[in-house]
Amino acid sequence: MIQTIEASPDEIYDIELEHSLLEANAKLAKENRSLLDRHGIASIDVMGAIGSGKTTLIGRLVERLKDRLGVAVFNGDATISSDADLIARQNVPVVQIATVNGCHLDANLVGKALRKIDLTKLKLIFIENIGNLICPAEFPLGSKARVVVVSVTEGQYMVRKHPHMFLGADLVVVNKIDLASAMEVSIEDLIADVHKLKPDLKVIRTSCKNGVGLDELTASLLAI
Amino acid sequence: MHELSIASSLVDSVLEFLDAHKVKKVLTVRLAVGELNCVEAEQLCFCYTAITQKTAMENSTLEIETVAAVVQCPRCDYRGSPKYWEDARSAAPIPTLECPKCQGTVEPIQGNDCAIKTIQFVA
Repeated sequence: MIQTIEASPDEIYDIELEHSLLEANAKLAKENRSLLDRHGIASIDVMGAIGSGKTTLIGRLVERLKDRLGVAVFNGDATISSDADLIARQNVPVVQIATVNGCHLDANLVGKALRKIDLTKLKLIFIENIGNLICPAEFPLGSKARVVVVSVTEGQYMVRKHPHMFLGADLVVVNKIDLASAMEVSIEDLIADVHKLKPDLKVIRTSCKNGVGLDELTASLLAI
Repeated sequence: MHELSIASSLVDSVLEFLDAHKVKKVLTVRLAVGELNCVEAEQLCFCYTAITQKTAMENSTLEIETVAAVVQCPRCDYRGSPKYWEDARSAAPIPTLECPKCQGTVEPIQGNDCAIKTIQFVA
């Protein structure tokens, strides 16, 4: 990758490097993925804005899945462990990944979390990314699928405001649909925006309040 | 603010290069940023200036060129520029993954990377 040159004093050199800045993360993501594949574990990177309902949604999915297969959860959070504590009440392995000032998880942090738990009994790991609809897009973690959660409480234009996040998604969840009329947000328009960016992207409507869509989401994730 | 992560990775890579060679001073670093990448050039330059202080890269210039996106359609074999979403409220047209020819979903084959192209330095 790096070429070798012999420098002479005070000469100006211009050399080509072609060195990818995203490659280091991509390499670690591949390592995470092969480790997970070796253990037959599917992993889901759950991304979305702060308050989109990622933790509650993961909690509901864990409730549905934990008696059927080994599930673990990694909670990415800048500081406090409140989300991790919430999930840990369900007696599944939980690792909190505290990024301190970091605005996204990266493959290195996920690799460290993978070394913290016993992988032999697991079949599925949910990785809750930091609440952020921009930065996580650039940093694949080695997960099998990337799910973006967007809730109606974020307003009508969240998809077109953050197109990059949706371009890299494998599944989109439109959450908190029970609040759509109170928010005066059109779910159909939100979904139309997703399909303008990526026509074949699967979108599932959910409400953790009344359970709508959770069975469909569970089945879709198991099929990934 | 992932620009700081990217700037740190950039500076680490260049300083690693400087360590391995007899370099007095870096003049310019040229970076190629893909169109599908959400790296904000101005923020990246700001981070670059901040973290290169008191290194051999201090006062060097970061030049950023955009690499156009190229997409390929697995359904109709279209290969070329992506379809853009012309939203009146958007600062710039939004590249999409809708095939301009058959309206299916295309795959990006160029425009996702962020790479150092060249380094200009004084030996």
